[in-house]
Amino acid sequence: MATPPDAGSRPAVAQGSNATEHPLENGVQHQHTASNSEQAPAVKGKAKDANGTENKKKTAEGSKDGKPSGKELKEKSKAEKVARRAQQKQAQQGQPVVDLGPEKQGDKDARKQSLAGPDSNFPKTQHKRTGSTSTGGQKPMPFRPAQAHAPPIKEEPKKENKNVALFDHLYGNPRRSTVAGASRDVHPAVLALGLQIRNYVICGSSARCVATLLAFKRVIESYITPPQTSLPRHLTTHLSSQIDYLVSCRPLSISMGNAIRWLKVKISEVDISVEEFRAKADLCNAIDNFITEKIIVADQVITRRAVEKIKDGDLILTYAKSSIVQQVLVEAYRKGKQFKVIVVDSRPLFEGKNLARALAELGLDVQYSLTHGISHVMKDATKVFLGAHAMMSDGRLYSRVGTALVAMTAKEANVPVIVCCESVKYTERVALDSFVHNEIAPPEELIIHGEKSSPLSRWLEVPNLQLLNLMYDLTPAEYITMVIDESGYLPPSSVPFMQRLSTNT
Amino acid sequence: MPAATGVTAPSLTTFTRSVRSKGISVESSTDNLISLLKRRQIRGSQACAIATAYLLRRVVESVKVTDVGRLIERVQQVGQRLVSAQPRELAIGNIVRRVLGVIREEAEEDREGETSGYSDAGTDSRPHTPRNQDVRSPEHSTILSRSFTSSPLRHGEKDEQVEAPGQWGPQRPPLLTSHASYAVTNTAPTVTSMFSLLSQPISNFPSPTTSPGSQSPGIHQSLSSQTLSNITAAKDLKAEVVEGIQEILEELTQADDQIAGYALEHIHSNEVILTHTSSVTVQKFLLKAATKRKFTVIHAEAYPNNHEATHAAAVGNVRGDFDEDIGAEKFQKALTAAGVTVVLIPDSAVFALMSRINKVILGTHVVLANGGLVAAAGAKAIAKAAKVHATPVVVLSGVYKLSPVYPFDMDSLMENGDPSKVIGYDDGGFVDKVKIENPLFDYVPVELVNLYITNLGGHAPSYLHCIIDDHYRPEDIDLDKVDVY
Repeated sequence: MATPPDAGSRPAVAQGSNATEHPLENGVQHQHTASNSEQAPAVKGKAKDANGTENKKKTAEGSKDGKPSGKELKEKSKAEKVARRAQQKQAQQGQPVVDLGPEKQGDKDARKQSLAGPDSNFPKTQHKRTGSTSTGGQKPMPFRPAQAHAPPIKEEPKKENKNVALFDHLYGNPRRSTVAGASRDVHPAVLALGLQIRNYVICGSSARCVATLLAFKRVIESYITPPQTSLPRHLTTHLSSQIDYLVSCRPLSISMGNAIRWLKVKISEVDISVEEFRAKADLCNAIDNFITEKIIVADQVITRRAVEKIKDGDLILTYAKSSIVQQVLVEAYRKGKQFKVIVVDSRPLFEGKNLARALAELGLDVQYSLTHGISHVMKDATKVFLGAHAMMSDGRLYSRVGTALVAMTAKEANVPVIVCCESVKYTERVALDSFVHNEIAPPEELIIHGEKSSPLSRWLEVPNLQLLNLMYDLTPAEYITMVIDESGYLPPSSVPFMQRLSTNT
Repeated sequence: MPAATGVTAPSLTTFTRSVRSKGISVESSTDNLISLLKRRQIRGSQACAIATAYLLRRVVESVKVTDVGRLIERVQQVGQRLVSAQPRELAIGNIVRRVLGVIREEAEEDREGETSGYSDAGTDSRPHTPRNQDVRSPEHSTILSRSFTSSPLRHGEKDEQVEAPGQWGPQRPPLLTSHASYAVTNTAPTVTSMFSLLSQPISNFPSPTTSPGSQSPGIHQSLSSQTLSNITAAKDLKAEVVEGIQEILEELTQADDQIAGYALEHIHSNEVILTHTSSVTVQKFLLKAATKRKFTVIHAEAYPNNHEATHAAAVGNVRGDFDEDIGAEKFQKALTAAGVTVVLIPDSAVFALMSRINKVILGTHVVLANGGLVAAAGAKAIAKAAKVHATPVVVLSGVYKLSPVYPFDMDSLMENGDPSKVIGYDDGGFVDKVKIENPLFDYVPVELVNLYITNLGGHAPSYLHCIIDDHYRPEDIDLDKVDVY
């Protein structure tokens, strides 16, 4: 397996903060990839020529087949001329792309293998490994090592910018794939959490929120206030470095942001005169209470309310996987309601597959389809249950990409759309479109790995080709019939008021 | 199955090769095509249309034509078998209708020629038909009266002449002009006998006196009276019909390029265009526009039924091995190579991006008479999202995909695909417990479409029925109902 060459060979370099360390490391990798790619272009030209003539021959054959009329022939030759001209033009401009040299092939394969199946055995090994490496923070994580190669290729100045122009502001730094270069202050639990979140081992707004709070609880437990500072002052900055690390793995979810904001307020409220261990215990208690109140009990309340809305004979449609919707469906089934479920799913995460599997194993009647069949499955549905990543304060739903399509189709088919959302996911933010605020996942996730290599595996070499792997989209409030949160049933227009209430108390 | 398919997997190319070789009988070619259609080894509107046209050409060539009725009957028989073999490929029925239309038209032209030469025979042979007509429909009597009055000597009555074509639909004008040219030389009864031909469309109405067969006895009579001249006429007719089919075939192969010819009228520079699945028609259209304009294409991948072809098209279709039906002429230069920025997205991201998209350009499987269309699954949601964002939806379709069928029973046009494309069978536990749905097509209602571009130009969806009237004879529209006598 290809490991980042720079990381291992470097001994314990004096550890700066994140900010200084990153560019340095990237720079080294740039050089590597550059030297690799520069050897290829000569070969490429020839190959391209050969391809071109072959294609032309093919078209000629094709026309013979159909006994072409004079007009057809003329058109054909014209088309060929245009094609030839375009080819010449391209040759003059010089190909911006560089083919993969033979020596790089190995790298690519390695990347493919490593990408193929890290998820299944990941969480178990994860904990062990972080335990051993976290203190130093220098050894590279053994997972998805080739990922470390991929992002720098994108950023190479000579190379074409593969970012989708409309979303350029969202790209930022590529997601961190190793703990190498993490700040010394970052707690091992947080180190592990960051990678788990990054690899979708911990996925979903609530789950990420809970996991973050639990990790921060451990941070606080092992925290010792340095001399000449006070806990409320220093702990906040200490947490900030943890948060920076988490952000570098994957942008924070709205719920995480809300929870962290709440925690920071709690820390700043700590009385300096209180003994440190007491203050820490209080904070840990507060975190536990927060999780219980805002997530666990909230989920129970929402579940109870939502189950009331499921009637015998219903055909419930849901999209992707939401933990709260899963709880609702399971609870309704336990209560003996007779209903069926349609799970609609999408590429590339296929989260719905897990939901469908879990429900089917319980014994529910489950139907599974992908986004393309949405118009068909909606015909029979009687209710749509959706989870939320966040609710905007203008009543829009911010959720897994594709949710808007489902809600729109439901609206068209006059099927009520019910959103289950804990109030911790409310945000005061407003948004008009899915462009300004969103998250871009690594485009490599779109490449399909099967026995046959996907044509997309060489997308980086194709000029002008971009892959867009958007994480979320925004569902207009008019597609949502009802929101269920812990305070009751509300129309989406009431979300801002509830949001105000929940932040004020 | 004849052994003609050889080593290569049977496909459109092997079929067209086999259907042209004289060694294989028409019957076995028909059976061959039927089995190919049933096994979906020929699929897609264009492939089906081409195969049908080749087969029908062979059928027409092989029939020993003594009269037109027999020929029509033969083509109808073959056509019905093909249509029932794969009723969802409406293009097959379309081509059968077109061929029938060609035969009828040639026959009518022939008869006009005949009647001008042997006018007395014409008048003798059908004394009763015009009378029937007069009783039957007021429309006809007006036309008849018009036909009597519209000799070149009476140009004053312009209003009637203007009104008549509208009443009859666009397929009238050529016949009326030909009539006008003969009207001077012929007597009035000849004119009415010609209009007895025009009365044939009405024969679909339930009326005991006018079964669809009423045409052929009339022809028989005229044939028996002039056997000699008719044999040569029949030969001419056959040649002309074959030529007509040849023209249809040419149209089929050129349709995509003709549609692409309109590209520059519809795409402006710096535009952001969304398309879905890999349609050759759309690819050619965009490529043509790319020769002059710079724009961005957002390509929804149509997972799981067509994503491989879509990916291949985006990367640059080096091999067509994803779909054997793609003939050699369909090897495409990738859009990216033409300088167009292509952004590949999963289908789910369509709504999120729609607000920045200027146009949605869709390919289609079939277009129905009301202007609705059957396209790859997912198209409906895309079109609806476009409608919600007031983004125009443009559908590219060859005229051969225009079907005179109305979508009364949509489910009969839908098809479910291989569920293993959604979940592989290797995931056995999952497949056992969960019902998996993989629809192949979506019906997109007409109100979601803003514009159709066919090889004849751009049309409003409401105008499509006029094109259908132009291309199909009313008596051929219901292929199933035609009595085989």
